[in-house]
Amino acid sequence: MPTKDANAEPSFRTMIQVDMEIASFLSNWAHCDYISSYLARTISHNRPDSVLFSNLFSSALNELLEVTFRTRHSGGALECRLSRHGETDRIELTFACGQEERTFLEDAVARVQGVDRQARYLSSLSGDVAPSRDMMLLELTVNYNATLRLEEVDADTVTIVVDLGGLAN
Amino acid sequence: MTAHLSPTGTVGRFKAHFDLNNQEFSIAGSVRPQTIDELAPSLALLKESIDNVRGVLYINVRRLAQMNNTAFHAFSRVIIDACRVRPELRFVVITSSVVGWTTRKFGRLSKIEPSISVEEYDSEFYPGQSFLEEGGFIPILRTQTKMTWRHERSILPRHGMRPGIVMADICCGIGDFAVLAQKEFEPARIVALDHSKSSLAYARKVASEFDITGIEYTYGDASEMLLDDDQFDLVTCRHSLQIFNRPAQILKELYRICKPGGRVYITNEKNSHCLGEPRAESIRWTYNEVAKLFEHFDMDVELGPKSRRYLADAGFDDIRVESFMVTNLDGDPKDFADMISAWEDVYAGDMAVKRGDSEEFIKQFRQGFKDHISAALHPKGYAGWPIWAASGQKPL
Repeated sequence: MPTKDANAEPSFRTMIQVDMEIASFLSNWAHCDYISSYLARTISHNRPDSVLFSNLFSSALNELLEVTFRTRHSGGALECRLSRHGETDRIELTFACGQEERTFLEDAVARVQGVDRQARYLSSLSGDVAPSRDMMLLELTVNYNATLRLEEVDADTVTIVVDLGGLAN
Repeated sequence: MTAHLSPTGTVGRFKAHFDLNNQEFSIAGSVRPQTIDELAPSLALLKESIDNVRGVLYINVRRLAQMNNTAFHAFSRVIIDACRVRPELRFVVITSSVVGWTTRKFGRLSKIEPSISVEEYDSEFYPGQSFLEEGGFIPILRTQTKMTWRHERSILPRHGMRPGIVMADICCGIGDFAVLAQKEFEPARIVALDHSKSSLAYARKVASEFDITGIEYTYGDASEMLLDDDQFDLVTCRHSLQIFNRPAQILKELYRICKPGGRVYITNEKNSHCLGEPRAESIRWTYNEVAKLFEHFDMDVELGPKSRRYLADAGFDDIRVESFMVTNLDGDPKDFADMISAWEDVYAGDMAVKRGDSEEFIKQFRQGFKDHISAALHPKGYAGWPIWAASGQKPL
């Protein structure tokens, strides 16, 4: 797993960051909706089609927050940072989790890179009763052309990095 | 039959409904439940809808702004399972291009079950607009805005325009009014929305070339906007209610997005009152026919003086109505003449032909425009185009 290097991509400009205690975040499912709607609206004003962009960005961010909500955490804080470089908007979700969850996330992120992702997405839609967290990440790549990776911040903390390019084009 | 979800949390922000007459299940709003249990009433309604229809079930998601994967999965499963149990039944999902994700995401279902298809609804909504929004009409729209702006810049402050407000220009067309409003009045933010991608592309190009920032040109359907409730101090909608076949529905949306205490400002024409001297009779006849021609295509270009009634029926208070006349004496008479010439091309060249009018009628129809142009350019002539500006306040 790559380690986080703040200097690796200096061209991404941070637009906004929300930090919350994990316990507070987990206290209400609606936080996923509130945070995604608020942040999407906030960063959309200077995109060519701001309302459409906001709606799509909110959808993608909400799924990531829902995946995070369903992750077993080991306390600490949730950081949600949004940054931008040209047409690409980056979401970084940083939180603490145990080794088991980390392994799960590593595997899930690796799986969404697969060439068969479209077929796996359709198979999940027609077969599973409810979407797994794998599927929710997979859907971001299938429907939003997102690219995902996982970064290790320290021994207990990871960052899910998701790049969304040309969302409203 | 309608299902409203729990009022707590976020799942209460959507509504599901089944209309047996139209065999249509619709779901609108934002659907982001934590578990599928929260969707039980709506899923039951969908199953019940399926049981009650024959041949086809329309699934209307035009106003479905958000749906998380938990919900999408649950609704998809019900539809996919029904396809397997009832292979004779077709499912047609009606989406909107405005929402951005529904066409693509629901479109995936047709790869699983061919009896599920997706249709985008927007393109058929505005029956007459295509005459007016595409291609060569852009220069004339700019000229029209230039001529009306001379009047509106002094009218607008009486209808709620002032520096620092948050405003929306709905049906912004090529966006030139928004630019003029921004330069003159310096609102804090302008959202300019239109349904014509070509007009918006033009607006964005102009904004980019002229280094104009602060105007958000947005693609959207004025009758069902994604914009939130109670957002704007001033909502403008110029020359547009008159070319929609359902003006009251648009006005309802303008009301919705306006802040309580804010104002909605509309301008409309009464085409039969266009006038000119000399050759007043010929001009009058032609513009009376213009009104009938638009009526044929479900558009009411006589709407101007009806603004007061429309605003009152939509629930507005403190309604203000005034009218002004754009004339050949406003600036260069050639501008006025160019505008009439463009009207002649579209009304007599395209619309009358499409209606199936005779050559004889079209010849006489064109003559009135030519006489209006002559009146505009005549050294002693006078040519006018009357417009009604009206606004109402959304109650606090």
